[in-house]
Amino acid sequence: MENIFIESTQYTPEISLDAKNGVIDLIGKSYPENTFDFYGPLLKWVHQYIETKISTIDKTSINIELIYFNSSSSKLLFDFFDLFEAASTKHNIVVNWIYAAENENALEAGRDFIDDFDVLKINLVVKDQIEIST
Amino acid sequence: MDLRKNHDIVPQDGIVFLSYGGVLSQALIAGMTEALEKEAEHNQLQKNISYKIFTIFIELSQNMMKYSVSKGENLKRSKGVIFVGRSTDEHYYVHSHNRINNADISKLKTALEGITKLNPEELKTQYREQRRKGNNKHEQGAGIGFYEIAKRSSRINFDFTPADETGSFFNIHAIISNN
Repeated sequence: MENIFIESTQYTPEISLDAKNGVIDLIGKSYPENTFDFYGPLLKWVHQYIETKISTIDKTSINIELIYFNSSSSKLLFDFFDLFEAASTKHNIVVNWIYAAENENALEAGRDFIDDFDVLKINLVVKDQIEIST
Repeated sequence: MDLRKNHDIVPQDGIVFLSYGGVLSQALIAGMTEALEKEAEHNQLQKNISYKIFTIFIELSQNMMKYSVSKGENLKRSKGVIFVGRSTDEHYYVHSHNRINNADISKLKTALEGITKLNPEELKTQYREQRRKGNNKHEQGAGIGFYEIAKRSSRINFDFTPADETGSFFNIHAIISNN
């Protein structure tokens, strides 16, 4: 199955779906106008990945680093994690919820997801605070 | 667009970061969010406050983009007014103002009255319930949007001002403070 890479925009994150290595990355901000249209290809890819590919992968890593996002993106993330929750009973899947130390909102959102999913392993990963601004 | 009440919305001695009135589009909302980011940085706002402001701004402006109605226009051109600023006492606010159909007032009123009554723990629980419930239902909807706003604000004020026989102006004033 193919890998997908989508560059970030002002209001959508960089998305990298690597089927070969079992790595999913979402990095940036997320407030598209039509969230489910925008993320349709991602959900489709995840369905296919779980059906056909995941059993050949030792460990699936999902790295989410979203600075801020709108409520429909929050719902999207819930549905996205829910797909992996079901697959977690049989496969090794780890979510890394990456947030900056100063971003309590992102931390709180990560904690909410941890409370929502019993099987899926979600780690809170605090990011190095130092940023170089140009 | 009724802007007569502007002096009530914008504190006279506060600072306005952003004000906009007119047709709303995704490109404009993204541009304004970027402007807010710059403004927040320039004013050295705490990151935590900034992210709350951006989230509420996006939620309210996208709500208006999707649900605002325009008088006498069949084409759906969503117009609205939005302010972001700081009042004197280190509180920040996002204020939205737009026209809605009178038929939608009771639904909005019930939703907002319910949400604004909740304590933070109840808010969190209901937000998560709503998010779970909507699973696999991908329709547009302000469903959890108001919860998102309530979670990030210390208070939400809202009112409906009658405009004419079919429409009213809907105001939401979300106050953001540090914890």
